[in-house]
Amino acid sequence: MHIDRSHRAWVLWTAALFMLALCGYLLYAFRFQNGPSGGSVPGLIFGGAGYILMLYAAFLSVRKKFSRWRIGRATTWMRGHLWLGLLSYPLIFFHAGLSFGHGLTFALMLILSVVIVTGVAGAALQHYMPRMITERVGRETIYYQIDRVQQDLAHEADSLLVSLFRKDTQYGLLVPAAEKTHANATTLVVLSEYSGDQLRKAYEDNIKPYLSHRGAYRHTLHDARRAKSFFADLRTLVPEPVRPVIDGLESICDEKRDLDRQSRFHRILHFWLLVHVPLAFLLLVLGGIHAVMALRYG
Amino acid sequence: MSHTGTEQTEVRLVIDGQSITVPIGTTIFDAARTHGIPIPVLCHQQDITPVGVCRMCVVDTHERAYAAACIRKVEPNARKAKPEDPDLVVETNSENVRAARKTLLELMMADHPTPCVRQQQKKDCELEGLAAEYGATTSPYPHRELTRGRDTTSPIILVDHAACILCDRCVRACAELRDNFVIARQGKGYNAGIAFDLGKPMGSSSCVSCGECMYSCPTGALTNTVSVKHEFKTGTPCETADLMALDVFQHVSGNFLDFNKGAVVKRHFKKGEFFFREGEGSSTAFYILEGLVDMYISTQQAHVHTEEQRGTFSSRMRSKLVNRHQHRRQGEDMGRTHVVVDGGLELPCDQPEGQRGPGALFGEMSCMNAHPHSTTARAATDCVVLEMRRNIVDMLRRNKTFRENLDELYLTHTLELHLRKSPVFSSLTREFIQALRSKVRLVRIAPGEIIFKQGDLADAFYLVRRGFVKVTESCAGGDLVLAYLPAGSHFGEPALLGDGKHMATCSALDNVDHVDLVRIAGEDFKEMIRLFPQVHAELQKVHDEHMRENQKRMANISDVPLAEFLHQGLVEAQSLLVLNLDNCTRCDQCVKACADAHDGVTRLVRDGLRVDNFLIATSCRHCRDPLCMVCPVGAIHRQVTLDVTIDDTCIGCGECAQNCPYGNINLHEFEVTLHGEELAALGAGQAHAKKATVRKATSCNLCNELKEPSCVYACPHDAAHRVTGEEFRDMLKK
Repeated sequence: MHIDRSHRAWVLWTAALFMLALCGYLLYAFRFQNGPSGGSVPGLIFGGAGYILMLYAAFLSVRKKFSRWRIGRATTWMRGHLWLGLLSYPLIFFHAGLSFGHGLTFALMLILSVVIVTGVAGAALQHYMPRMITERVGRETIYYQIDRVQQDLAHEADSLLVSLFRKDTQYGLLVPAAEKTHANATTLVVLSEYSGDQLRKAYEDNIKPYLSHRGAYRHTLHDARRAKSFFADLRTLVPEPVRPVIDGLESICDEKRDLDRQSRFHRILHFWLLVHVPLAFLLLVLGGIHAVMALRYG
Repeated sequence: MSHTGTEQTEVRLVIDGQSITVPIGTTIFDAARTHGIPIPVLCHQQDITPVGVCRMCVVDTHERAYAAACIRKVEPNARKAKPEDPDLVVETNSENVRAARKTLLELMMADHPTPCVRQQQKKDCELEGLAAEYGATTSPYPHRELTRGRDTTSPIILVDHAACILCDRCVRACAELRDNFVIARQGKGYNAGIAFDLGKPMGSSSCVSCGECMYSCPTGALTNTVSVKHEFKTGTPCETADLMALDVFQHVSGNFLDFNKGAVVKRHFKKGEFFFREGEGSSTAFYILEGLVDMYISTQQAHVHTEEQRGTFSSRMRSKLVNRHQHRRQGEDMGRTHVVVDGGLELPCDQPEGQRGPGALFGEMSCMNAHPHSTTARAATDCVVLEMRRNIVDMLRRNKTFRENLDELYLTHTLELHLRKSPVFSSLTREFIQALRSKVRLVRIAPGEIIFKQGDLADAFYLVRRGFVKVTESCAGGDLVLAYLPAGSHFGEPALLGDGKHMATCSALDNVDHVDLVRIAGEDFKEMIRLFPQVHAELQKVHDEHMRENQKRMANISDVPLAEFLHQGLVEAQSLLVLNLDNCTRCDQCVKACADAHDGVTRLVRDGLRVDNFLIATSCRHCRDPLCMVCPVGAIHRQVTLDVTIDDTCIGCGECAQNCPYGNINLHEFEVTLHGEELAALGAGQAHAKKATVRKATSCNLCNELKEPSCVYACPHDAAHRVTGEEFRDMLKK
């Protein structure tokens, strides 16, 4: 989510609530004889408020799951998730008296910290990366379609090479005749055997393996500069009318590179969720256990 | 005979003793038809190109051989003895001509399976009707022994090759009216017949079952086996025979009415009941059988005055009741006195009320153009009306005779009002308008057809009678639409008043319906402004104003990336799904929400055109000019909310998907359970409910059952927005 001026109200309200909680905490910390404690009434209020905010933040995933529910726009839920989720961190800290505690409490504080840190990292990634993807990935497609599109690209490259068919012992390409005497006239432009073999070898050894493997980040053709030089060399092997075939292959490799880049960006943009979401649910479960244990046996 | 300078534009001919003057190039058939002289024909119908293959329309022109009236054009006769002699003398019904026709009919009847399927079902086989009229029902020639067979592979149309007379009406209808090019002629001599694609059975060809060939067929060679199910909530469905007995349906094919059974219902309205209200959208029109209908505009029409906001403390504190000093909306005052509404009525702006009586068609503008109704229609007395779907109205209006009756009514009753409603022409005298009436030409422009191009030499002045004219001007970034001129507007005068060259391109709005214009030749226009200096002065004032506005406009648009904006049709959109790629995390929540809202089938694809940092997702844009609405069964409608939706009468032909230039309509297969009536229609008997797969077109309906489209509502990152073309342009500017 892009954090812009439209978040101002959320930021101000969150800051105000934080200041209120901080004042409350300072009053309570200085006035209570034994110092702040999670089991005290103010401590329980802080803990309860923090847990409710965590529950609210977790409910975003349920909201996403049932998109037909008309229970508020997802954007509002997301903003609430971001800012109220963040506010839950100081509240829980105030509940814990600014200490990490021991045993389950320590584990809970540690998990909460990781959840908050991954959440903030995720928010930062979501703030910057969409623009980066837009700028750097020219030919973007739907993430789940990348494999399919790459297969299509590989087939397209194959068919381009097939268009350079072998006639007797020579490679050649049927191209539109230079002189338009007949509308559909074509001319066979012949490649030397050496050029044909070199072209096929370059395709089999470099282009085809690059196109058939998703990622292939270490491949020569993944580097745009080296790829450009590679195709420039190939062009010198063939006569002018056949060069569009090389241009086509280069364009296919460029698109494949874009898709690989998109794939990598997409993973970076979403990988943090693999840590954030399970830990958040673990936190809720353990937090519930902690509450029951503390209230029942504390 | 009229001349413009030295150029002859009209010719005179005498048909069966009746002297007729028509424009050069008019066919004998059309000349006779417009003057009520019937000439029988089988291979020709009014809305397709005549080819003259059946020769039934042969007439005696006193030349070497009889001429086919449908293709023989009347040209000036340079060899006539005296200038006052007619250019052509024609006999349409002499003994010899009738004998020739009888022979032709006997030859055709020798091959015709009498009575054919159509004659058995609807009794309107044109061949058998003519044969009976000419006494050729029994042919002296031997009948064909081997039948040419039937093609029963189409679930909708039965092809009886034996009844085909090779008139090619179906071939031309398929190609010219529907642009489908599925039917052609195959074989030679005795084996000649019609074929689908490259000789495939009709059911496995690329035929979309639009039915146009069937409506065009004059015999029982192409007949319907089922009817399209049209459902009206109220009204009594009309039988084909009852409809064909009405004057208004005289020229409509019985096949067509039978295929569209239920598309016309008879309804009774009590005095005070509403047919429709202003602003509502509908896909039906009404034809009055009995009673009177009041039509009026209920929206208050007044010029809005707004005070200039100065923003100072004192101006904010000033009472809103004080007089406005500065007038910022002067340009909105168009000074119109009349507005053209449904049913060809022109209502005065100060009291926008009118009435229609028996024989009038109303509601057709909204029905044909998918625009919201411009008036409210209420029964003034108890009424009996026929309510009909768009395809029926379209068929009625294709008929030249029907249109010419409307044209005649227009010239007699409405032209004067049409001219007078514009303050520019208010000083024209009645005598001049009467003289003009015989000089104007009523022209019909096909959708998308160019009337004139920017830079063309001006030769006429036009009034828009019905439909919209698109005015575009070429500029550096591409073509810019200056205006859509509605009925009642006029154009073409700037060039006639200026340097003689048109400053903009005018074309019929690329929509589903034709545009009707009144064309006043340049000479007549110049005569008018010479005789009426006040008209000249008013027009000159308007012209000067246009020139000034145009210069300002051109200065404003120079920095807008117009080419892409216009070529991609974004300006046409009423609801673009725009994703701000700076916000979008590609989480696909919009797609998932769409699928959840529509039975698991998404109606949007998060891919498409990129403009700057925005992605225009592939999802229905609800265009102002929805090309998809050219539906053979009228299954696509514009709702009251102006959203475009596809109803259950969709036959899955894919015409809409093909017509959508943006690929926003998809065809999906749905599992359904068919019950008694549907099964009976498919010939499967009434027995049991049966599961079947139905192919149906789907497009975004903006989740009209919910308050907001799900895709936008479910986007957590504030990236998805539904905006109009103009709003999107503003977003781009920011």
